[in-house]
Amino acid sequence: MEEDILTTLKILIIGESGVGKSSLLLRFTDDTFDPEQSATIGVDFKVKTLSVDGNKAKLAIWDTAGQERFRTLTPSYYRGAQGVILVYDVTRRETFTKLDNWLNELETYCTRNDLVKMLVGNKIDKENHEVDRAEGLKFARKHSMLFIEASAKTRDGVQCAFEELVEKIIQTPGLWQSENHGRPVQLTDEDVGGESCGGYCALF
Amino acid sequence: MEEKQRSPGSDFTPDPGGAGATQDVPSDQRKDKMIISRQLTEQSRFAYAALCGVSLGQLFTGTVNSVFRQQYLKGLVRWLDLDESVMPVMGAFLSGLGFEGSDTFLSVLQAEPLLAAGATPIIQDLVSFSVKDGQYDARARVLIRHVSCLLRVSPQQLEEFEETLGESLREAGKESEEESSRRQKKERGRKLRRYLLIGLATVGGGTVIGVTGGLAAPLVAAGAGAVLGAGGAAALGSATGIAIMASLFGAAGAGLTGYKMNKCVGAIEEFEFLPLSSGKHLHLTIAVTGWLCSGKYSSFQAPWCSLGECGEQYCLVWESRFLRDLGSAMTSLLDGLVSMVAQEALKYTVLSGIVTALTWPASLLAAASVIDNPWCVCLNRSAEVGKHLAQVLRSRQQGKRPVNLIGFSLGARVIYYCLQELASDQGSEGVVEDVVLLGAPVDGSEKAWERMTRVVAGKIVNGYCRGDWLLGYLYRSSAAQLCVAGLQPINIQDQRIINVDLSSVVKGHLDYMRQMDTILVAVGVPTKEVPGASFAVLQPSIKKRTVDIPDQQTTQERQVTEAENPEGGTHTEESRDGKEVAETGEIGEGWDIPDISDLLDSLHDAESDSQTAIQKNFSLTAEESASGNATESGYNARYDVKDTDLDNEHISWSWDDTSWTAEHSDQ
Repeated sequence: MEEDILTTLKILIIGESGVGKSSLLLRFTDDTFDPEQSATIGVDFKVKTLSVDGNKAKLAIWDTAGQERFRTLTPSYYRGAQGVILVYDVTRRETFTKLDNWLNELETYCTRNDLVKMLVGNKIDKENHEVDRAEGLKFARKHSMLFIEASAKTRDGVQCAFEELVEKIIQTPGLWQSENHGRPVQLTDEDVGGESCGGYCALF
Repeated sequence: MEEKQRSPGSDFTPDPGGAGATQDVPSDQRKDKMIISRQLTEQSRFAYAALCGVSLGQLFTGTVNSVFRQQYLKGLVRWLDLDESVMPVMGAFLSGLGFEGSDTFLSVLQAEPLLAAGATPIIQDLVSFSVKDGQYDARARVLIRHVSCLLRVSPQQLEEFEETLGESLREAGKESEEESSRRQKKERGRKLRRYLLIGLATVGGGTVIGVTGGLAAPLVAAGAGAVLGAGGAAALGSATGIAIMASLFGAAGAGLTGYKMNKCVGAIEEFEFLPLSSGKHLHLTIAVTGWLCSGKYSSFQAPWCSLGECGEQYCLVWESRFLRDLGSAMTSLLDGLVSMVAQEALKYTVLSGIVTALTWPASLLAAASVIDNPWCVCLNRSAEVGKHLAQVLRSRQQGKRPVNLIGFSLGARVIYYCLQELASDQGSEGVVEDVVLLGAPVDGSEKAWERMTRVVAGKIVNGYCRGDWLLGYLYRSSAAQLCVAGLQPINIQDQRIINVDLSSVVKGHLDYMRQMDTILVAVGVPTKEVPGASFAVLQPSIKKRTVDIPDQQTTQERQVTEAENPEGGTHTEESRDGKEVAETGEIGEGWDIPDISDLLDSLHDAESDSQTAIQKNFSLTAEESASGNATESGYNARYDVKDTDLDNEHISWSWDDTSWTAEHSDQ
């Protein structure tokens, strides 16, 4: 079992408080959903093995606390992360506008400049969307991120989000092969738009 | 440093009644208030637990300790009143992930307003947490030391707090008579295997045994009030219902001092503990002496007089009859039978690392009968005593608290065998904290030492001296002669094993006893100033250390002079030279190495000199001097090898002291 695993990837989930980071993770790892999910203390950690294109990857997922008081703890987890999932709540505009801060923090603390970023708009099962899909897509393109809309409650897009992220990381050998890490990755707007978003448009 | 409320006396309730009163108010609110760590903000508590988790993961790798790691951290999370949901991430920390977060955790704790005056409360809290179940695991203490180092809390502060807590717990931990009689009854009914009986060999109807079963009387942690505040004591007391504090300190308060060996335990004649310090601590140190001399060093305690703050101190008294024999044999060998010059030469031979029976000078081989017999007897005895010590420790005669072991020469061998014995047993982890072995006449092979690391929570210091010819000589007939721990560093990739080259301090095997205060500083054991000692050792200053060496040398020389050695004058000259070299502050290169060719001459001279000089003690027969010449040719070969060796390993040898040999030949 252990031998089949191609690599272990460090994935980080960040975003404002209450956007559903822990719910996304719980849906992905345990396929459960708790509407009363309590606030994360400090950070949570889960391991899950994922198979993408026949490659098995072990994901060590660090789910950070969104609450302001735990913000001081977050920087330590950025180190060595190969993939980051930024989450916002489609029903709360402020969680979307604060994404810039998160990107800044990411820029400041992460040790690799080539890590793969994925933007997830959560809670699409809810009615009153304040951020529409096009807006999210535009933001993701601007910052060379993968993009998907998802709902932890209805399972929509959750699995896809992680799979897509892992696929992208594995396609970037410099990221997970320690010998030649540091090789810059070309993530142009076209890449993001054409490849990942295009793919998902068909899903919904 | 410590807050007012923590100082002993302010709300100390020594009588159990008072303690009971304290217990009556364990309303959760009050309890929470009193455990200082629970007053911290949630993020600080998380950082605190995470820091411990990361440290545990770093300090205790391997599967043997995994249960301890998990239980300790789980307990800590509960103690801190953190949500159970943090356990997965704590598990990740334990398995070595996320250690890069230490800095962040530290800065979070430093930003905590409650800890503005320093992180001492955290450490105090951690100690209280660690002893709350009446068991202070050695690994917990190693963790606490590690964390206090990270949080910049001085070891003295930790030691002080432990002492205060220990004293007050001890006050509270007196066992009632009713309880002890009940326990005795229980013990009598128990069938014990013979080896266990030997290990426990106690007087007073085996009062001691019960504690190890963890069935000691339930006791109220009244004493904790003295240091933790009344509510803190309640927290300690109610955390497990009623805390079992007596077990911390060992059987019925008697502990090691009360330990008496059964008369007929195997081959051991004598085995008991002698207290070196007063007071009660949460940890203890057992010092094991290697041999006994006449005069100043005629007692087991004598070499350890400068041992400083390291918990309760005990000295193991063992087989004094044989150790005395060995001591006098060694002294006569070093101070009379073998000339100084020959000793110097021997030192370099041993340095070369190739020691075979052929290279030993005739004078020494002739003296073999003097030393070999007591040495062999003591080798066997020390192994036996070591195994017995393991039984004592395993049965927790010392109470459930961490033990440090320190010993030199055969004492180190006792400890070595003790650890080997412990290692062959399951569940002996967490008993021994730190170990210091000095000039250990034991196998230094990787395999043997790897085993030992399993049962030692902290560090294992191997203090060795490359030029300890006596040790090499005594080992000449043994198969392990090329791999003696006391002669060389242990080559093993383990962060816990620390090799300390004591060559600059120890010039002969006897120096392990004579220079103990200097050695203790060199290996990082806390020391204290002793009235009448040659220097103050509170701050480990290298200069002081080296200055002390010539003193020693002079005394040695004087002894030689007294032995009517005609070379006495020359030697005094030499020692003065040595002093000059030492006072320039050369680290670690206290001794002077003469030029090799001169040395060969002097060796030759020495052999012939000794013929006339040491008539009083010893006279060489014609046959022997012939073999002496034969040896010389042996030396020639050795020196070639040694030449390169020295260059590689000791770059800063001072070669400028050839004058004495010149003078010597003049004579």
